[in-house]
Amino acid sequence: MMLYRHLLLAQLRGAMQYRVSFVLDVLSTSLITITEFGAFALVFSRFQGLGGWSLVQIMFLYGMVEFAFGLTDMLFDGFDSPTFAQHIRKGTLDQFLLRPANLMIQIFGSSLSLRRIGRIVLGIGIFGYAVIHNPQVWQLEKLWYLPFVLIGMGLYFGGLFLVGATITIWTVDSTDAMNLFTYGGKEMMSYPMGIYSDWLRVLFTFLFPVALLNYYPALFFLGKPDPFGLPAWMPFLAPIAGFVMFLVALKFWQFGLKHYQSTGN
Amino acid sequence: MIQVENLCKHFEIRHRHKNSWAVLRNFLKRDSSTLKAVDDISFSIQKGEMVGYLGPNGAGKSTTLKMLTGLLVPTSGRLEVNGFVPWQSRQKYVAQIGAVFGQRSSLWWDLPTIESLELLQHIYKIPTARFSSNLEMFKKLLDLDEFLQSPARSLSLGQRMRADLCAALMHDPAILFLDEPTIGLDVVAKQRIREFIQQINQDRGTTIILTTHDMADVQKLCTRAMMIDHGKLLFDGALSDLQNRFGGQRRLIVDFEEPPTQLKLANATIISQEALRITFAFARETRVAELISALTRDHAIRDLRVEEPEIEATIRAIYEGNLLSA
Amino acid sequence: MAHSNSCVHLTYSSVRLFWEITKRSLQRHLTYRTATITGLITNLFFGLLRASVLLALLSGSSSANGWNAQDIVTYVALTQALMVVVSVFGWSDLMNTVYRGEIAAELLRPTSLFLFWLAQDIGRSLTALVTRGISIMLVCYFVFAIKVPSSFGQWLVVLLSLGLAMVISFAFRFIVNLAAFWSPDARGMARFAFIALGFASGFLMPLRFFPDWLQHVLALTPFPHMMNSIIEIYIGSSDARVIEILGLQVFWAVTLTGLAQLILARATRRLVILGG
Repeated sequence: MMLYRHLLLAQLRGAMQYRVSFVLDVLSTSLITITEFGAFALVFSRFQGLGGWSLVQIMFLYGMVEFAFGLTDMLFDGFDSPTFAQHIRKGTLDQFLLRPANLMIQIFGSSLSLRRIGRIVLGIGIFGYAVIHNPQVWQLEKLWYLPFVLIGMGLYFGGLFLVGATITIWTVDSTDAMNLFTYGGKEMMSYPMGIYSDWLRVLFTFLFPVALLNYYPALFFLGKPDPFGLPAWMPFLAPIAGFVMFLVALKFWQFGLKHYQSTGN
Repeated sequence: MIQVENLCKHFEIRHRHKNSWAVLRNFLKRDSSTLKAVDDISFSIQKGEMVGYLGPNGAGKSTTLKMLTGLLVPTSGRLEVNGFVPWQSRQKYVAQIGAVFGQRSSLWWDLPTIESLELLQHIYKIPTARFSSNLEMFKKLLDLDEFLQSPARSLSLGQRMRADLCAALMHDPAILFLDEPTIGLDVVAKQRIREFIQQINQDRGTTIILTTHDMADVQKLCTRAMMIDHGKLLFDGALSDLQNRFGGQRRLIVDFEEPPTQLKLANATIISQEALRITFAFARETRVAELISALTRDHAIRDLRVEEPEIEATIRAIYEGNLLSA
Repeated sequence: MAHSNSCVHLTYSSVRLFWEITKRSLQRHLTYRTATITGLITNLFFGLLRASVLLALLSGSSSANGWNAQDIVTYVALTQALMVVVSVFGWSDLMNTVYRGEIAAELLRPTSLFLFWLAQDIGRSLTALVTRGISIMLVCYFVFAIKVPSSFGQWLVVLLSLGLAMVISFAFRFIVNLAAFWSPDARGMARFAFIALGFASGFLMPLRFFPDWLQHVLALTPFPHMMNSIIEIYIGSSDARVIEILGLQVFWAVTLTGLAQLILARATRRLVILGG
């Protein structure tokens, strides 16, 4: 952990040498969230609601995912498939392996996409606004569960990044396919699951536990009934789903590394 | 220190096809062949030795080096370095080795060099006292002061190599692996790096294994050379032995006082003649004294000298002519 | 006589050159096949999600501001098909050559830098259209029964509008890229421009669903003409305004191209003075 801190601070010192471009980066990534959510909110005013959800209710979903995804994306930048593909190609992965320190900590410490700060802050903002305007959330026993939901999402997305990195050991063409699960999953989670066709919803509830991560918890926080009549404990699967995903990803990662050490690049 | 027995590393090469029908067929039936990058190599290296590891591109040098440093797992064979099987206890093992890959820097691109070294102190858990005494020493030996505060990205190639050498040695490794440490450097910078490597080997008893294409590196540094090609170890011994065995013909260059007539020498052939200078080539085992006395008996000679073949030429001849395997 | 002959020859040879560059660019982009297939799947998946949101918004009412469910699905299909064609996510190739210093060599060529890059970009766009665009539209046609222009005439104006959109989009991106001549941080600034492009061109959401005041503001910019105009013409929801829309597209194509030449001239002078 000490080492992780040292490595991150080094990254920060490096990034701070390019102050102007750093500020521009933060602002432009913020602008992505602003235009995406802004476009949705502007259009929303023309309509009566989205599958029975009001704008502030959707903001609860949207803000939560934006925050959790932004934070994970920032921390897991070293595992993001384009970054990791560079580690392999430029031999940095070999450098890491030549050092007597935990490999994953070195990769975590190798890059930190600080520019995501913009998305994270906006995510918190949108989420905070939603919490204020949804009085159903204001219960201590509900708020106590919130960190677990966020951790579950973080683990899930972190696991996806880990899988994406591992795939690049075999092929660098995986970026597009992985985007489907990372950014696609995030996009999907930003809106209530009820709006998607049944097959899509079932697929992303039971095979990929996307719906478990924030839709069911949101139903619980917002006091909304489950339109699909699934058991009442569904909202509490989020941390478990995230944990299982991360564990599976970790196994895959170890398998990939073993392959890397037997073939090189 | 290093024990290698029957080491092999084979890679599966999958053939890729352009048209989609072949791709489909490929999917059903794997079409592949085996590349023997390292093929049944055995050697051992004692503590404090300085060994040059030679071979043309793609001969298996870096595959061997990767196995020795624990980056690659061998297909078969035994490999033990300093009491460790490199890839099995990676973290413990790599703490005792240093490695510099000439083409790649281990420094943090955007950080001042000194900060990179400080980060390495944390990674290798180097006690502060040892860190500072090592730093003092390397600062002097490698003249680091002039660029210690500059980020790695702004260093010249020579400076970067000096910094990387320092970085690889801060934790007092027992073994140092150098992959083309002088590549791309000018003559002065090369000389400086060589002197430093020599000093480290002498003062600290560090075992050093280096791969290079520059024969001068080997000539000036190594008492022992190993040569590999097509995955096989072709030669292992003193560099002078290599020269003696494969050096080919020596040359005798003679300047005559007047144009020689009826010039004939047993055991030597004329390979060039310009004005009064004639160059003879003769086999390694031929005695030079005999040649000279034969010459001076019949001719007036102003000057003469004997030339050893250049090591570069010998090596080239080995690579091209497969002298060793024949 | 000789003079007019050489004139003809000149235009012929430059058209020929333009085509040769375009063709090579096409071939280069066509070689990435697996990437094309995964890209297609990802593209369709995102389209599915976007359509779900818009259709759920519509649910209950039969149409919103003149568009029904089929129009909405057609809109999503078109944006997904065209996003790479008109580079909604930006483009910084020119900028990179400036930063790598290769631009000096390009300026030495006896061709217009603008036309040279336009030819390459058209090649890229056409590849995207052939590989991604058409396949996405075909899938959407068979699976989601999207709208198809009913007459040859409508197809013609759609293609015309698309061609103009390519030029407008390119000229805009070219101008943005020229910022690299002045600032080392142009990359960051360009990102703003491209995010604005995604929003204001009607890629993120149909402009027609935005509040009226915002639509009026955006109508004063070239952005809607890079994507939204093609969509309006394709769906046929602005049939009465087709001539006006095409006219505006021509206006913006000419204006932005002219502006690009002007800025390029200044950039070149700057390069000469500063010595690269």
